[in-house]
Amino acid sequence: MSNRRTRRAAVTGIGVVAPNGLGTDAYGKSVGEGLGVLDLISREGCEHLPLRVAGEVRAFDPAALIEEKFLVQTDRFSHFAMAAAALALDDAGLGGDPAEPFSIGVVTAAGSGGGEFGQRELQKLWGQGSKFVGPYQSIAWFYAASTGQISIRGGFKGPCGVVASDEAGGLDSLAHAARAVRRGTDVMVVGAAEAPLAPYSMVCQLGYPELSTVDDPDRAYRPFTEKACGFVPAEGGALLVVEDETRARERGVPVRATVAGHAATFTGASRWAESREGLARAIRGALDEAGCAPEEIDVVFADALGVPEADRAEALAIADALGAHGTRVPVTAPKTGIGRAYCAAPVLDTVAAVLAMEQGRVPPTPNVFDICHDLDLVMSRARPTELRTALVLSRGLMGSNAALVVRRGDESAR
Amino acid sequence: MITTEVTFDELAALIKQAAGITVDPKELKQSADSPFDSFGLDSLGLLGIVGELENRYGRSLPPDSERCRTPQEFLNLVNSTLKAGA
Repeated sequence: MSNRRTRRAAVTGIGVVAPNGLGTDAYGKSVGEGLGVLDLISREGCEHLPLRVAGEVRAFDPAALIEEKFLVQTDRFSHFAMAAAALALDDAGLGGDPAEPFSIGVVTAAGSGGGEFGQRELQKLWGQGSKFVGPYQSIAWFYAASTGQISIRGGFKGPCGVVASDEAGGLDSLAHAARAVRRGTDVMVVGAAEAPLAPYSMVCQLGYPELSTVDDPDRAYRPFTEKACGFVPAEGGALLVVEDETRARERGVPVRATVAGHAATFTGASRWAESREGLARAIRGALDEAGCAPEEIDVVFADALGVPEADRAEALAIADALGAHGTRVPVTAPKTGIGRAYCAAPVLDTVAAVLAMEQGRVPPTPNVFDICHDLDLVMSRARPTELRTALVLSRGLMGSNAALVVRRGDESAR
Repeated sequence: MITTEVTFDELAALIKQAAGITVDPKELKQSADSPFDSFGLDSLGLLGIVGELENRYGRSLPPDSERCRTPQEFLNLVNSTLKAGA
């Protein structure tokens, strides 16, 4: 039994359902190659809306992956989450019935819940009457739905929760899971998946001034450039298995990375200039918790909102927090190839960071070729280099900022 | 006058439609006194079936119909209600 104060949170499983790949290997390959998959939105009922380009998860067949009894009571965002969780658990060697149900918990982050399911039931309410609304409306739209369904489907009875703290909540959920592990829970299934590409959900997003309505997939999302015109949304997400590192080594499973440090701040909705200070403080806090010097950061996965004022604030925050190292460290934003899946965006970035450390190369930033900030942004093709420690940044449209430090699996044993 | 009666076949179809659970109607009939949860049906699933039957037959079922424990208990309640209103 390891001492709780020294318990370290290890990533032992990864599951991805993303626009550029179903499964972690497919996602990693696309990210490494800098594949851009942004495209015109094809989902039913969305054709007439002024938001034209997004990262859609295509060729995802929930019926092939999830039992019908779970499908009828859940929204697409939970389908993604359940599928990704199953992949992560298999990767960690924890598929099947848990031997110790109370030792496994679940925490997810959610930005909007089950909009498509909710719209369908509300249309029944106003079209046919209240008696035609199905009882699963009471749970399917809810932010916590994915956490609940993952825990029920897997038979997990450990501590469960949902983080509703804006897009940066994806990183906050990982920190929450790491804390749960440090406090004594053996295993946490953690991450986020979102499904914001349905009519009602899309109309909700139209009010965001940061949203890109450019209809050319190659030009719609180009952060850090003079042509930056906002961000493009995406669906999908990633779930990870985070567990006590000692237990993982005892089980004999590879430790893919460790969650070393995290901090979050809040600076107000769409107050992008102020996000500079908030993000810098989050970075310093995450470095402090990780016991990590700025120079130890080998790569930064940027938030890369694509709004000029926000991009400037982020570039300055990196310089504020990392000093001279901030202009030398490789920075990347693979999400320009797939869009921003809200709470799931920084979780997908964390997965990309783990894969980058495993493969020894910084993935490129698709569609971005000419930047106007003092950053070493990796563009066009992956850059081979040894990576031991990665910093992942995230900001939400409602004002949250977060930073997460992850270390390569074999580094944590030092 | 035709008396409508909900059969095990119809109940099995409703369980599939409302809760996504495939149940063999013959098995449902044979195990009619087994609790619903042994078929994997929870109370929200049964509540959805109550709502569907109310819409289908244009009648209200008694309060707490979704608390019936077994298929037999549920069909007895539903069919006595439908019969009373015929």
